Amino acid sequence: MTITKERTLAEIVRKDFPILHQEVNGKPLVYLDNAATSQKPLAVLDALRNYYEQYNSNVHRGVHTLSGKATDAYEGARVKIAKFVNANLPEEIIYSRNASEAINLVAYAWGLTHLQPGDEIILSVMEHHSNLVPWQLVAKTTGAVLKFVELTPSEEFDLEQYKTLVSNKTKLVSVVHVSNTLGCINPVEEITEIAHKYGAKVLIDACQSTPHLPIDVQKINCDWLVASGHKMCGPTGIGFLYGKEKLLRAMPPFMGGGEMIADVFLENSTYADIPHKFEAGTPAIAEAIGLGAAVDYLSNIGMDKIHAYEAELTAYLFEQLRQIPEIRVYGPQADSTGGNRAALASFTAGNVHPHDLSTILDQAGVAIRAGHHCTQPLHRYIKAQSTARASLYFYNTKEEIDVFIAALREAIEFFGGIFG
Amino acid sequence: MTLGNLRDLYQQVILERYKTPRHKGKTNPVHRYQKGHNPSCGDTIELTLQLSDAGDKILDAKFEGEGCAISMASADLMAEALKGKTVKEALEMVERFQQMMKGEAEFPKELRKLNVMQGVAQFPVRIKCANLTWHALKAALQSSADAESNGFISNEKEEA
Ligand SMILES: Cc1ncc(COP(=O)(O)O)c(C=O)c1O
Repeated sequence: MTITKERTLAEIVRKDFPILHQEVNGKPLVYLDNAATSQKPLAVLDALRNYYEQYNSNVHRGVHTLSGKATDAYEGARVKIAKFVNANLPEEIIYSRNASEAINLVAYAWGLTHLQPGDEIILSVMEHHSNLVPWQLVAKTTGAVLKFVELTPSEEFDLEQYKTLVSNKTKLVSVVHVSNTLGCINPVEEITEIAHKYGAKVLIDACQSTPHLPIDVQKINCDWLVASGHKMCGPTGIGFLYGKEKLLRAMPPFMGGGEMIADVFLENSTYADIPHKFEAGTPAIAEAIGLGAAVDYLSNIGMDKIHAYEAELTAYLFEQLRQIPEIRVYGPQADSTGGNRAALASFTAGNVHPHDLSTILDQAGVAIRAGHHCTQPLHRYIKAQSTARASLYFYNTKEEIDVFIAALREAIEFFGGIFG
Repeated sequence: MTLGNLRDLYQQVILERYKTPRHKGKTNPVHRYQKGHNPSCGDTIELTLQLSDAGDKILDAKFEGEGCAISMASADLMAEALKGKTVKEALEMVERFQQMMKGEAEFPKELRKLNVMQGVAQFPVRIKCANLTWHALKAALQSSADAESNGFISNEKEEA
């Protein structure tokens, strides 16, 4: 009789990711920079290739067969994404280049037309630059005022302080779901409910949650939600904005051009209905179809299963990091299940600067991020000039965490010698 | 791990200068002030220069800043090498250092200490770190004398 150990999720899926099977600097690649961008499974690569090899054509423009096929696939991907985040209607999903563009769409199409001097926009100190700069621009133009939610002592979203910030002046709350630096999971349902009591709109930056957790926009009840395809197994150049139907209908277009019009005259035009009103010009057709394939791939595994496996990795990662005295991790500690936070760790390692650390780990085949991860104000807030970040996905393994930890210890030793 | 490769990059001198820089601080008086910033990683440098009365010679150079071993050691070694150099010589050193980062040049005997930075050329993503202080120097020397009013330079687009 043979006893077969149950295979982990990573053991099952790794064969789907060709890029993972290579050596970097003579060592097997350990890719721990997933918060920056994820790797792509064959299913996505095949979808891109099939499109270009078999039915490359412009969408919504031709009556010929290939154009019809391309349009079906392009719109089919929208339906998949809508289902993936539990939107009420496919039309509530607007394609964008990435999350940044989706936020800018709301900032320009809604912000510029709805905000008055003295109106307040609530953000948090942990926001990615993508969810800060567009609002700074809008505030400057409209005279609206930015307010910031700070952190609790455990470096999480301070819900109590948030409650004191919201008022009748609040017109918008725009916050991140899962912080790409702290890894905390913010209470977006509660945040939304409170904002709505004051009639404020809510935008959720779901860049770091959509790839890892089941997302239900109706349960969150947010007005908008944005995500980037490239962080969730999809191609670069495609992301999406979810918006409530009524709200999207009421918003003016963001950009003008082909696809987004109904009737065009020389002096003025009428606009297409949602979602096309917001999709000017030839869109990223292959990329949208690729994102549809990514969503299929993730759904077939199951987001619950992905989250459960990543929680296991998180618990293990933190257990290992805790044993290195020089390491200071930012954001909440992982509980014993690992499920209370994201599968990433931003940290400093004593005297080893994150940049030097990243170079040393790279020599061991381990890819991590070093810097401020596009959260400069947060780094100022937590008084870290820069941090190193290891971020995991469902194809990572405990063995890879071991390689990372061993390399980390070596790096600290290498530098520790001189500081000893 | 291929520590051998890393020893080329992190020469003992670099690690020592990172740990105990010899030229940290501000010159007195400050004739030139330049802030350098690497937006992608957050490294910063504040370079100050004291010039001769005629303004054509560097009497003293110091730096403040926060950053990785490469950027800090580079700044310390540069500050040391600048003392007594004419402005023209210093600008030539900037050129030579940037060539060295491309693996195309090294410094002559009297400035050979700077050659410990040569290993960085093997790590293209780190060239920015080593160059930060030299960019700041170039901007400082090309700026007018009204010291503190200078903005800061960013070397984000370098060696991309
Ligand atoms: C939390 C968060 N928001 C926004 C973004 C911006 O995503 P993109 O650069 O794909 O627009 C990122 C990714 O870097 C992120 O992590």
